[in-house]
Amino acid sequence: MKIVVCIKQVPATNEAKIDPETKRIIREGIKAIINPFDNYALEEGIQLRDKLGGEVIAICMGPRKAEDSLREAIALGIDRGILLNDKAFAGSDTWATSYVLAKAIKKIGNVGLVICGKQAIDGDTAQVGPGIAAHLDWLQATYVMAIESISDSSIRVKRMHEDGYDICEMRFPAVITVVKDINIPRVPSLRGRLISRKCEIPTWKPDDIGANISKIGLEGSPTRVVKTQSPPPRHNNTKKIQGSAAECATALLKELRIRNLI
Amino acid sequence: MIQHILNRMYHIEVLPPKQDSETLEDNLEKFQNRYLRILENGYCACITDNTMGLLSFQGTELIEELSLPVISEQLIIHLNTFHRKDDLDNILRVCKLKRIKYLLIITGDGSERIPKLRPLDINNTDTESVTSVELLKYINWKYPDTFVLGVAFNPYEPEEHEFEKLKRKIKAGAAFIITQPLIGRNRFIDRLLKKHPEIPVIVEAWMSKKLHLLSEAVGYEIPQNTAYDPISNLKILHRLYPQCGFYLSLLGFKNQFELIRDTWI
Amino acid sequence: MITASDVEREKYQNIWVVAELLAGKIQPVTFELIGAARELADTRKSDVWVVVLGLDIGESPETLFAYGADIALLADKAGLSGFVDELEAKIMEHLITKYKPEIVICGATTRGRSLIPRVAVKTYSGLTADCTGLSIDSENGDLLQTRPAFGGNIIATIRCSNHRPQMATVRPRVMKLPEPDFSRRGKVIKEKTIVRDIEKIKKILDIFHSTETSINLADAQIIISGGRGIKGSKGFKLLKNFAERLGGAAVGASRAAVDSGWIPYAHQVGQTGQTVQSKVYIACGISGQIQHLVGMQSCDLIIAIDKNPNTPMMQIADISVVGDLFEIIPELNKKIISL
Repeated sequence: MKIVVCIKQVPATNEAKIDPETKRIIREGIKAIINPFDNYALEEGIQLRDKLGGEVIAICMGPRKAEDSLREAIALGIDRGILLNDKAFAGSDTWATSYVLAKAIKKIGNVGLVICGKQAIDGDTAQVGPGIAAHLDWLQATYVMAIESISDSSIRVKRMHEDGYDICEMRFPAVITVVKDINIPRVPSLRGRLISRKCEIPTWKPDDIGANISKIGLEGSPTRVVKTQSPPPRHNNTKKIQGSAAECATALLKELRIRNLI
Repeated sequence: MIQHILNRMYHIEVLPPKQDSETLEDNLEKFQNRYLRILENGYCACITDNTMGLLSFQGTELIEELSLPVISEQLIIHLNTFHRKDDLDNILRVCKLKRIKYLLIITGDGSERIPKLRPLDINNTDTESVTSVELLKYINWKYPDTFVLGVAFNPYEPEEHEFEKLKRKIKAGAAFIITQPLIGRNRFIDRLLKKHPEIPVIVEAWMSKKLHLLSEAVGYEIPQNTAYDPISNLKILHRLYPQCGFYLSLLGFKNQFELIRDTWI
Repeated sequence: MITASDVEREKYQNIWVVAELLAGKIQPVTFELIGAARELADTRKSDVWVVVLGLDIGESPETLFAYGADIALLADKAGLSGFVDELEAKIMEHLITKYKPEIVICGATTRGRSLIPRVAVKTYSGLTADCTGLSIDSENGDLLQTRPAFGGNIIATIRCSNHRPQMATVRPRVMKLPEPDFSRRGKVIKEKTIVRDIEKIKKILDIFHSTETSINLADAQIIISGGRGIKGSKGFKLLKNFAERLGGAAVGASRAAVDSGWIPYAHQVGQTGQTVQSKVYIACGISGQIQHLVGMQSCDLIIAIDKNPNTPMMQIADISVVGDLFEIIPELNKKIISL
């Protein structure tokens, strides 16, 4: 059984320091990490491979530096990694990105299950997982918090919803996106790291996956970011509320109500 | 542990290479050299566990992969609560196998990447999260009479809170204490020594000239150019705390290693 | 790039809202989005349609019209219950191809975020997730979508110029709930669905509704967080109570509270815990060390409750409340019920 895990390399925003003057996060020198949700996808892929046999492959579309993330995945126990890297891929929005990943999955061939993390912490859209399923016209299950059972032909998953959960069954091939409740990701071992440093990671380009050039990169993306700006600066005045507990509570709730927060 | 103090054995901290190191092979060689040098000079090596939540390699896997010698009296391994259950059990198994005797049990620093023990992983139903106290209990339950377990004492945390925590740690089986870095006399340490004369205390001496790096630890801002002589501070601490052992953090292996030969008189 | 020509684009009209249904009941986010859609439709001089997938909606479509919809498009789900994404996506694809909406918006819920990206790929539409603002570009009539990125440190404006429909998801409680006008009337269109190969799509085996909804920190709009001042796990029950009454809120904690064993590590906010960017962060008995601040600085509104008016947290807060949190929180809990 072939399992593919899609990963993304993102900036580690929570390691940022705060500029004391602007009170905003300093972004220089922030290192790149595997998108945290993808660690759960990798862990699940490794556990499923150990249970069912077969192969688990990690793929990543990104700059050359993203190869480090694929090596880290191999250090964890992934069988092999493939980097999708080319100038033509740059600037892709989620439509184009999921198209490229879908083409790569088709190229790998005979894939039964694709596992993605719920969302990436830089874009936060959560669109790529279902997007891949749509491009491939495969079944999908998102917000998967547990895999109840799995065989060579089907999978039964528990999907999280705001108001509870449901259990559904899908025949392969299928795409699932996972949430943090699903497992506890392992950390790489020293031996794994040493092995991964020597591994060969192939790079695939548009021709390798038969991608239609008009559907990738900036040109292939239906959405375009036209402007970015910083959020308004933090004010300097603290509004003070004092008095009896009841008075404080009333005043506070009033503040929340006039801001349409409750 | 009391023998370490009587024999004037310094405890020297050696940090494992970080997992994302680009020059891993070089870092491993440097680690190995430092470790061996500490042993050769009769000191005790102290290997940390993901300090500040920065994912690094474990002491036990470094010892195995690099085939490092283990001398029971000359090694302390730090162990914190940020591990998967299977990794924790494996670390303890290897420690027992390799006859590693001293473990420093701390709650530790996490990060989003590093997994945390859950209460049910260590058969604990009393608390909502796992602290060093619960980990101590688990280790003593699973490996009775195998290890000598130490704990941390932080004189920069609220006094009553910290002494109360220490009481629980001792009840759970703590056999020695290592403090946070001391700069000169510290009245909480004085109180600690008076309250618990039966437990060996090892005070930490900050061996880096950059005192301002301690600002976060001590809870107040130390100006960047504050003059500080680590060797002087160490000698002062020896005078003030003759009954204590010494833990040297950020020791300069190039320039300071030879200097500490003569400081413990 | 494969795009719609100007003539093609012109054929796409009207603003659609995909309704969020839970056990047959229409959810508040739908009405919030109808309000937003109404404004867009007024600018575009077109209509607001609400798409309801599943004909058995429990209450009549009148409420939809009261909040501003002009047409309720009811599509049956071939008798299937539960959330079957592939089927709903196929229905949406068919409806979009047939009726050609200019803009489609949907709640950014677990269902919405599963369904709409699939539809967007099938219809080659541009989709922007978790929008905090929607407006029409006065020059060319395009939809302008604003949303935060990079942990809230950047506000991005996105446009989908060459593809139709333009799609967006919006989280609950972001758009203001409009005032309903129950004298408003609208039209109902019932659409029959032809679904083939039902046996190939997923089977829903079981559905569980829970009354206790646990919101996690990353998704919460409001976070109430406790520090050393909470003094124990009992204190956190007070905060949990508050979060539950409010709805859509989560409980956070400082490192000191977690290290004392009062609350699981999953709730820790800060440098060695999680980074959050909720709309409201209420810090109770948290002094505000830099390691904690790094984790919650991006929150829109910071409120601090503490006995001590001079802590770092009380200084940086937008609103500071000086008092005993063990008296104030119960008062808040009491007053929320009466809201």
